[in-house]
Amino acid sequence: MKRANYIFILLIAGLAAALAVALLVGSERVSVFEMTEQGRAILIDIRIPRVLLGACVGASLALAGASLQALLRNPLAEPYLLGVSNGAALGTLLAFVLLGDVAGARPVLAFAGAGIATFAVYQMAKSRAGMNVERLVLAGVIITTFLSSIIVLLTSLLDAARLRGYTFWLLGDLSQATYNGFYMTLAAAVAGTILLTSQARALNLMMIGERDAFDHGVEIGRVRMIIFGMASVLVGTSVAASGSVGYVGLIVPHIVRLVVGSDNRLVVPMSAFAGAIFVVLADTVARTAIAPRELPVGAITALIGAPLFIFLLRRT
Amino acid sequence: MKRRSIKMQMICLLMIVAGSLLVACGRQVAELPAVEMRVVKDDLGREVRLPVKVTRAVSLAPSITEMVFAAGAGDRLVGVTSYCDFPAAAKNIQKVGDTQSPNIEAIIAVRPEVIFVSTASQLESFASALEGQSAAVFVLDIRGLGDVADRLRRLGQIFGSGERAELAAIEFENRIAAVERRQKAERPVRVLLQISEADLFTIGRDSFITELIDRAGGISVTADIPGGYPKLSKETAIALDPDVIILSDSPDNLKPNDALKNSAAVRSGRVYRVNADILSRPGPRLADALEQLATLFRQEPAGN
Repeated sequence: MKRANYIFILLIAGLAAALAVALLVGSERVSVFEMTEQGRAILIDIRIPRVLLGACVGASLALAGASLQALLRNPLAEPYLLGVSNGAALGTLLAFVLLGDVAGARPVLAFAGAGIATFAVYQMAKSRAGMNVERLVLAGVIITTFLSSIIVLLTSLLDAARLRGYTFWLLGDLSQATYNGFYMTLAAAVAGTILLTSQARALNLMMIGERDAFDHGVEIGRVRMIIFGMASVLVGTSVAASGSVGYVGLIVPHIVRLVVGSDNRLVVPMSAFAGAIFVVLADTVARTAIAPRELPVGAITALIGAPLFIFLLRRT
Repeated sequence: MKRRSIKMQMICLLMIVAGSLLVACGRQVAELPAVEMRVVKDDLGREVRLPVKVTRAVSLAPSITEMVFAAGAGDRLVGVTSYCDFPAAAKNIQKVGDTQSPNIEAIIAVRPEVIFVSTASQLESFASALEGQSAAVFVLDIRGLGDVADRLRRLGQIFGSGERAELAAIEFENRIAAVERRQKAERPVRVLLQISEADLFTIGRDSFITELIDRAGGISVTADIPGGYPKLSKETAIALDPDVIILSDSPDNLKPNDALKNSAAVRSGRVYRVNADILSRPGPRLADALEQLATLFRQEPAGN
């Protein structure tokens, strides 16, 4: 357990360092020592909420990925690949089209969309013989493409001017960060870390086999509901605030497992920190690479994530 | 011996050419009424074969539709895009899809002799798909104020409506010159053009609106940013602190982005909405846009 403590300390220090770097750089130079009114506005109104939101979105997506992978005993289970992110995106779009700016409508419908997509994937993948790896991935592909087609249909029906913003947002974009969005994702990420870590022992037993877990007194149905529900909340709040940032839930838990092994009591909370670091750094690239223009952060996470994932796949 | 064989080859070649010409002529006579054709160069330097008198044309961009009407040939348009809403008469013309995805079957169905495509629509691949059809594809590349009068005259030649096109071109040139004769402020006002509010899209170096602002007596604060329509960092928007904000009018662009709430423009009330169509369509109404911008730039701050 001692090594794990070191890694935790390292992760916390790493997150602090990533946040510090992210707050110090941007498309404009802000001197902390000679603070002008303009500099204060740049830092407080724009940069701080965006960096903090990025950290919470990264933590949420990595938590959702780590716990879904353990529950479904499938290393490819990831909100983005299973269609859960697309469910949340469709929910957000519907909230925008039907309800406009009604407060809270977007995260609530995003959560509903994520929940329905999760449930649908699970039902499709389940068979009498139990959960099968290929079925799950296939179900995810089907749900993802089906929901994408509805999203394309919807955005084609919206007029061109409204569509413009959404093409950026669908790729995962943190530029519309607000403190409210940050508070919401922070609440979800903290609740997710606590709740999902509390289920880690049960997840460890279920990874051996559901029969064994049952023999050890694990209420499998209850654990499943908690994981699916919490993952939907995490993905829903993240997508409502920043669109579908891909690959975070996939590669972050994989890297964590490479370092600490498969004990979910470590993998789940460590993924939260590592996910936060990953998205904060990816968004720093998105903000500065072609400044004063901007890239969507989802393009950066996919650019790093996809090749890294292939590398990890070949190693294991 | 050698000479004779060359001679023979020449004769053979001539016979083949003559034969195929005859066949070609025969076919043309059989299928089409003999239409007098001519070759005109389009804006990409392609040689386009057009009837001497064009009677059926399709426009695949709202700016081109406006240009054709201004050049006095609106009645020859038999197909336009669903975005073509100006002048009012354009709304009654058969729609053949929208600017991004024109419907090739609908285009062929209206039997055009020529299809006008704008470089702004990025329809290069679509244009090549049309190449195989009987209609000619004529590409127009209008890069702003400087090109409008010239292209009006060209369209006048193509449609045989040269006099009306010439009048329109002269009127356009006179209006531009009148704006430029007006007294300029000593220091050009610093202008930010906002295209959408939440996602802060604006104009960059390659947009013709940058030049429009310049000619109207302002200076675009984003004139150095590469690209045509970049998404601007909000941090930079704060630092740019424009004197005037122009909102191109659209449902997602009703007020300045929050990042601009403390800018000189917002504090002095110099935020103006301008019709997005006259700003964004490189056509005859750029003169309207120029006049409006010039007036707005000379307006005194409302003051507090």
